[in-house]
Formats: sequence, structure tokens, C-alpha cells
Amino acid sequence: MPIIRLIDAINEIVGRIVSVAAIVFAGIIIYDVTMRYFLGQPTRWSFDVTKQLYGFYFIMLGGYALRHQAHVRVDLLTARMGHTMRRWTEILGYLIFFFPFAWIFARRSWDFAMTSWNQGEVTYGAVQLPVYPLKMAMFAAAVLLLIQGISEVLKLLLDKTDHLENLEPMDVR
Amino acid sequence: MAGLLLLGLFMGHPLAFVLGGTAVLGAVIAGKPMVLGIVINRIFGDVLDNYVLIAIPLFVLMARFLSDSGVTDRMFEALRHLMARVTGGLGLAVVFISILLAATTGIIGASITVMGMMALRPMLQYGYDPRMATGLIAASGCLGILIPPSIMLILMASYAPGLSVGQLFAGAMLPGVLLGVMYAIYVALIAWLKPDWAPPVRDEEQISRGAMWRMLMAEAVPPLVLILGILGSLLAGIATATEASAIGAALALVIVIARGRFQWATFYSALLETGRTSAMILFIVVGATAFTGVFNITGGLRASQDLMRGIADDPYTLVLLMLVVVFVLGMFLDWTGIVLLSFPIFLPLVGEMGIDPLWFVVLMAVVLQTSFLSPPFGYALFYMRAISPPHVTTGQIIGGVMPFIGLIIVMCGLIIAFPALVTWLPQTLYGG
Amino acid sequence: ENWTMTSVWPSSLELIEIDRKWVETVNALVDDEVLTIEFFEGGSLVPAGEVFGAVESGTVQAGADWPGYWAGRDAAFSPLATTSSLFNAVDYINWIREWGGQELYDEVYGKFGMVYLPYGVTNNESGFRTVDKPISTIEDLQGMRLRLSGLEQGRLLEKLGGSQVSMAGGEIYQSLERGVVDGAEFSTPNVDFSGGFQQVTKYWSTPGWHQSSSVFGVMINKASWDALDEDTQQRLRVAADATMLWSLSFTERRATEAYAQFQEAGTEITRMDDAALEQIQQLANQTIQEVACENPTAAKVYASQLRYLENYGTWREASAPFNLGRSPNGPDLAAIEACAN
Ligand code: NA
Ligand code: NA
Repeated sequence: MPIIRLIDAINEIVGRIVSVAAIVFAGIIIYDVTMRYFLGQPTRWSFDVTKQLYGFYFIMLGGYALRHQAHVRVDLLTARMGHTMRRWTEILGYLIFFFPFAWIFARRSWDFAMTSWNQGEVTYGAVQLPVYPLKMAMFAAAVLLLIQGISEVLKLLLDKTDHLENLEPMDVR
Repeated sequence: MAGLLLLGLFMGHPLAFVLGGTAVLGAVIAGKPMVLGIVINRIFGDVLDNYVLIAIPLFVLMARFLSDSGVTDRMFEALRHLMARVTGGLGLAVVFISILLAATTGIIGASITVMGMMALRPMLQYGYDPRMATGLIAASGCLGILIPPSIMLILMASYAPGLSVGQLFAGAMLPGVLLGVMYAIYVALIAWLKPDWAPPVRDEEQISRGAMWRMLMAEAVPPLVLILGILGSLLAGIATATEASAIGAALALVIVIARGRFQWATFYSALLETGRTSAMILFIVVGATAFTGVFNITGGLRASQDLMRGIADDPYTLVLLMLVVVFVLGMFLDWTGIVLLSFPIFLPLVGEMGIDPLWFVVLMAVVLQTSFLSPPFGYALFYMRAISPPHVTTGQIIGGVMPFIGLIIVMCGLIIAFPALVTWLPQTLYGG
Repeated sequence: ENWTMTSVWPSSLELIEIDRKWVETVNALVDDEVLTIEFFEGGSLVPAGEVFGAVESGTVQAGADWPGYWAGRDAAFSPLATTSSLFNAVDYINWIREWGGQELYDEVYGKFGMVYLPYGVTNNESGFRTVDKPISTIEDLQGMRLRLSGLEQGRLLEKLGGSQVSMAGGEIYQSLERGVVDGAEFSTPNVDFSGGFQQVTKYWSTPGWHQSSSVFGVMINKASWDALDEDTQQRLRVAADATMLWSLSFTERRATEAYAQFQEAGTEITRMDDAALEQIQQLANQTIQEVACENPTAAKVYASQLRYLENYGTWREASAPFNLGRSPNGPDLAAIEACAN
């Protein structure tokens, strides 16, 4: 189905770009430590900037991780189920738990981001960084997660999913 | 809410969304859908806007660099050869490295992921029993919340009036290291009793002493220097845990490059892997914070408080009861939830009974080690599940951690019998 | 009505006692059928920084705060919470109750759909605690990395040659211990002592010129407030006044006790000399004027505070030495009034 391919492609692209941010905030932290201990001139902005980048980084990767089925699950019972039984149990899991959470996450973070935007919220200190971009990223991340859930359920319904079978034996994730 | 949580867990749905979904449904069932606002407030304030958690992706990245370059595999090979004449030597190496890591991270998800990536594959390859291997790595990885620096102890200090972080760090140091020593003794004992659970190096692989030392210097020293460098920069006051994690990742990359193992493709896939693993761990924190918030606001907090108040008696019964309560809560909740839930009730009672709060808080920190390991709901179990190859069953992982839960309970008994285990170091450092 | 109320303070910080006192007083003054307030300590419902949003959106009906935490949303929250080298606790009480201060709290919180009842004051904060270098002159501040909260406070410190590090209260102890910062201010002496700062700092520099006194209170969602009858609203206000008076003497007594505890613990206490304080006053005045002229609402609040100082100054000086506090040589009122429009 094109919709599955589209959603998977969106989260794949986002994941491949956003994953690189880890290098950026690691670099900023090291720059700050170096400036502080070797030059005695700490940066004014690195604390807030790293924190915001880190928040942006992991929250945007939620949908990407779901696309790769990286989220931890307890397969105590499901591992013993037959294929069809397991498929329907998984679909039910999405309907009972995933969608209510992802919907509230998206719906409420929209309000949350808009409130911040309308107030022009900034961090509180001599360095004033805007806070609303991160809050808007949280909403975008919630939407990415929600649509990836739709894609995963469609894959289960159409029996096109591959994570139900075991991966190669020594695949240490 | 507990019922929904269990249902979701046994349905095999991802833990992060079981927690989050239970929070949403719990609020609706309690007839208070308006409290759902706090879910977003908590996710933003507790997880996104949190300087300490930055260390998670960076420690994962460090482990990934070391692992992809083959450095960690060979380091363990070298350590295994070093301990070739000791049965269970690889297991002892895991405990040893874990204590070092515990002193650098203090973040369970990162510790276990690091240890799992470094040690699990070689252990399984060399024929360790999967129960032994996963149980040992999970339990050793949890030492990170006990051996300072520890974010759990920092949070506990902020909930215990009159106790400082420094006192708690000093108080937890000895019990933490002793627990590691107990794990090591247990490994040695098992290796002696059941040699096929923790096999020694096979004869045909034995190498000469000289070759072994050359291998050790070449393979094990750089990563050990790296780990000691991180620890050193922390303790020497050069860096916070977050900064140490960035330094660690950078140094790991330097080792990869120095060994001529750097390739852009591997480097990029390390970043992608780190992204997935970090999102996996941090989304569990997202779900947990949503769950705890709704649980507290819909009256779960108060109900458990009232239950506790009815039973308090003499100091020993009280402490034992609290230990049991924390142990049972640990089957379902993580330490953040437990500390938030129990400390406001426990500490006033502890004060009334004239129990030393420092001793009590460290005892709680020790028993909370089990919260990661006890089924059905233990983060260490889930992290192990995530990094274990599929042929290792969840049942094996759960079976594997059981003996270590027993050792933690023994350690609690020792602390009750000999309070000086906790109080000696803080008194020496800070007086009175 | 049933209200859920939370606070920005965890139970380990003594500041939460002010919130508890108000809740106790309200629950004693108001019939349970009319209104019961269920109080949750800070962190158990939402993180400290999110209490504002939770009350604004009506998720909880009431939230105890220190207004300065919200200065990122409107710079006017800063002077509603504290001032650099301007007001003492009695000035805040006078200004709030009789010189038009309450209306400004209503106006600023009103913009966000909330009603505000100030119910706590603490007088001067401790000042900076430093690890291994005492601060007694302005030269001592050069190049120092100091944990400090606040916009005006940070800019003032930069003018004095130091640099501001922002971090949550829970991270300060470790940062001092590891030398990530050279020193830190946190709160009043009793609150600092419970944070264990005597273990990791050798020196304490008084007075707390960056935060000459502070105001605490409760934000109430407007819709929840309007749902109360007038009599109940009145009782809540009475409880706030009673708590305010209690908080003044309670926190001053506790600060006195903690001062002795710091001395016993071997902390070396130094004082900035009068010439340094005068120079700080001038730079504080500049900073206040800068901030006020970037934000008309902040300017309006500062202008009101300065008019009070000018107006009350006549009698305050006449009644010396039996007067309450000092008349600071504050910023230029006309310049700030000009920015208020
Ligand atoms: Na640790
Ligand atoms: Na558990």
C-alpha cells in the first residue's frame, strides 16, 4: 500500500537526519568543557542549547524507532502464540494502548506548543533562548509517532510485517 | 491501573506505550480526563528538559563506537585470556568492568546497554549458560544506581530533608562495591560447581604468558584507560556525568580512528543504532512519567499512603514492612515512581521511630536494585531483552536474575545487622 | 468544590511549609462541602517548571509558586517575585497591600487566565557561597562562574564581571563539589543549610544583593476562582494575609538559627563592604532600567514599586532610627515611567 510506504519513508528520512544530532550536541559539550578548562572562558549558551538539542533528538526518533520495532516489549506469552493469534493480539495492543496515548500526546502537545508560541516563551536567565521551537518539535514528534502506528497496524492487518519472525541469530540490537 | 498495566505487558505491546496508554485510560476510567494535561507537562519537564539524561545517548554512542570497531570484543577476549586459569573468568571480568562503569554512568539503561553490547555476545560465543550471562550482566549493570555518582541518590537526597548528596554518595559506596564483590564470589562459586555454565578457555586456545600479556596491553589497556579517564574526570571535578559521557564518546571515536578501524558507513550506522536505542530507552521514561503522574493525581498516591499508616509498629517491623513494600512495588514500578511514592510516607515515620535516615535511605537504595530485576516489570529485564539475540528467551533472562535478587536481599540483611557498612564512611568524611 | 493544588517546591525544601500553612488555614476556615483543597508536594504531579502551565490550562486548580520562575513568559514576573537591591520583605507587604501591588499581580497573572494570592515573603537571601575563594569586593567576582537564577540577576552579575550558570536546585550541590561552578546562591540560610551547602563551600558572602527579598503565593485558575462564592473567596484572601504575616517571622527565625548552624559548621562568613554595595546598587539600577525598557509590563511594575519607595520614603526617613528598612538609592523613576507605555 502506498500509504505504508509513504509513512515508512517519512520516518526513515527523519530518523536518518535527526540521528546525526548526537554528534552535534556531543561536540558542543566538548567545546564547552575545553573552553572552560583550557581557556577559562565558558560559553554562555551551551547548557541550554545542548539540553534543547538532546530533547529534539530523542523525541523526534520515536516514530523512527517504532518503524524499526526497536521499542522494548515483553514477549513472555506472545512468543508462544501462533502467527494469526499473535497478529491480532498485536493489533489489539495498538488499539487499546498505543492510539489513546499517541492521540493524547499529539492533541495536547499542540495546545502546549501553541500556548508557548503565543506567549513567545523564552528561557529565564541572562541568555534568553526561545522555548517554543522545542515544544513544537514535541508536537511534530507526536504526529510522526501516531502515523507510524497507523502504518504498523496496516502492516499487521495486511500480514506484511516481518518482525514477528525471528531475526538472524546473533543480531545484537 | 495495575490491571491494565499487566494486561498490556502480557499482550506483548511495547512497554513505553503500555505505560502511556494505561495513563490515558486510567484517567478516563477514573472520570478525570482533564488531568491528562499533566501528561504533556511531565513529558516535557521530566524527560525533554532534563540535562542529566543527555548522558544516555552519549554513553550508548560510546559503547557503539567501541563495539563496532571490535575493540570491546577483543578487550574481553584479552581479559578472558588473563583469567583463563580462573574458571568463570569472563564473568568476573563482567563484574569488574561493571563496577568501573557504575562509577561512570549511574544510568541503568546506559550501563546495561553498554555491558550487554560489550560482553553478552562474547559470553554466549564462549559457551556461557544464557541464564548466567544475562542475569550477571543485568544485575551488574544495575550497580550503576548504587555506586556513586548516581542520579537515584541525587533524587533521594532531594526528597530526604537534612541529608546531602555527599552523605548519600559516601553511604552507598561501601554497600555498592560489596554487592559487586558478592556477585563476583557467586560467579566463582558457580564456575567451580557447574563448570559448563561458565566454561574456562579451551586448551587449544590457550596462549603463552608472553603472548597473553602482549595481547592484554594492546587490546585491554586503551578501553580501560578510556573508562578510567571518564571516571577520573568525574571524580577530579573536571566534568559532570553529562560532560563525561561526551568526552567518553569522543575518546572512543579516537580509539577507533587510532586503530585504523574508522569507516564512514560504520560511523553512520553507529549513529542510527544509537538513535534507535536512545529513543527506545527514553520513550520508556516518557511512558513512565505519564503513568506516575496520573497514578498520583487520581488517588493512587493517597491510597497507598493510608494503607501504610495503619500498620506501623516498632522500628524493626516498620523497616521490614517498608522493605517488603518497596520490593513488591519494584515488581511493577521503576525507582523514580517508588521514591516519589514512598519517601513522603516513609521518612516521617522513620523520623518518629528514631531510625537513622541516612542508613534507611541507603538501605532503600540497595533494595531498589531489585526493582530493575524483578519480574514481571523490570527495566533491566527489558533492556536485556532488547539487546539479547532472539534465541535467548525472556524466561532464561528472568531465571538468570533470580540468584542475584537473592544476593541483594542478603546484602540488605547485612546492612541491617551491621549498620556501620553504611555509616562508617560518611562519618569519617563528614564527621558526626 | 474539590481542588487539586501542587507546588514548585519538593517536600525537602522548607519553602513548602508556607504553602502547607495556607492550605491548612483555608481548610480550617472553609466548610469541607464548600471547598476542600488536596495538596500535592512539588514533583509528584508535574515538574516545577510546568506548574504554571498546569494551572493555566486548568489541569490543576491551584499551584504554589515563586513568580520569578515564569519570567520567560513575561519579564514582569521578575519584579513581582524579587528585586535586585531594592525591596525588603516589609516593602513588598506594604506595596502589595496598600500601594497598588496586588492590582499588578492580578493584571499580570490575569493575562494568563489566573488569579494570584501572594501569601509568603522571605527577607534577604543568603548571598553567594563559594568553594575556595571568598568574595568581599567586586574584584573578587571577576571571572567567577556562579550558579544564579534570574534575568536581571544574570545581567547584573555579568556587569560585575562574573558569569551566570543556570541549573536546577538539585544539581547545585554536585556542581559545587565537582568544581563545575565556583560558587552558588540558592535561597535563605535555612533552606541552604538543608541543602548541605556547608559541606561543599568554605565561604559565604553576605548580603544577598541579587535578591533583596522574595514573594511567594498561589496561582488559581480563573474559572475555578469564579466558581467560588464571594464569601469563600474572601476567606481564601484572609488565609493568605494570615500566612503572609506568619511567613515573615517564621522565615526570619529559621534564618537566624541557620546562620548559627553555618558558623558552627566552620563556614567563613564575609560581608561586601559599603562601597561595593553602592557600586552594585548603581549597576542594579542600570539593569532594571534596561529590562524595564524591553518590556512595558515590567516597566509598569517597576514604576509602581519606585513610586511606592519615593512616596513612603518621606515618612520612613522621618521615623529613623525606628523605621522599617532603608530607602534605597534606586533607579530613575521618570526614565522607567517613560518606558511603561
Ligand atoms: Na553510578
Ligand atoms: Na521489577
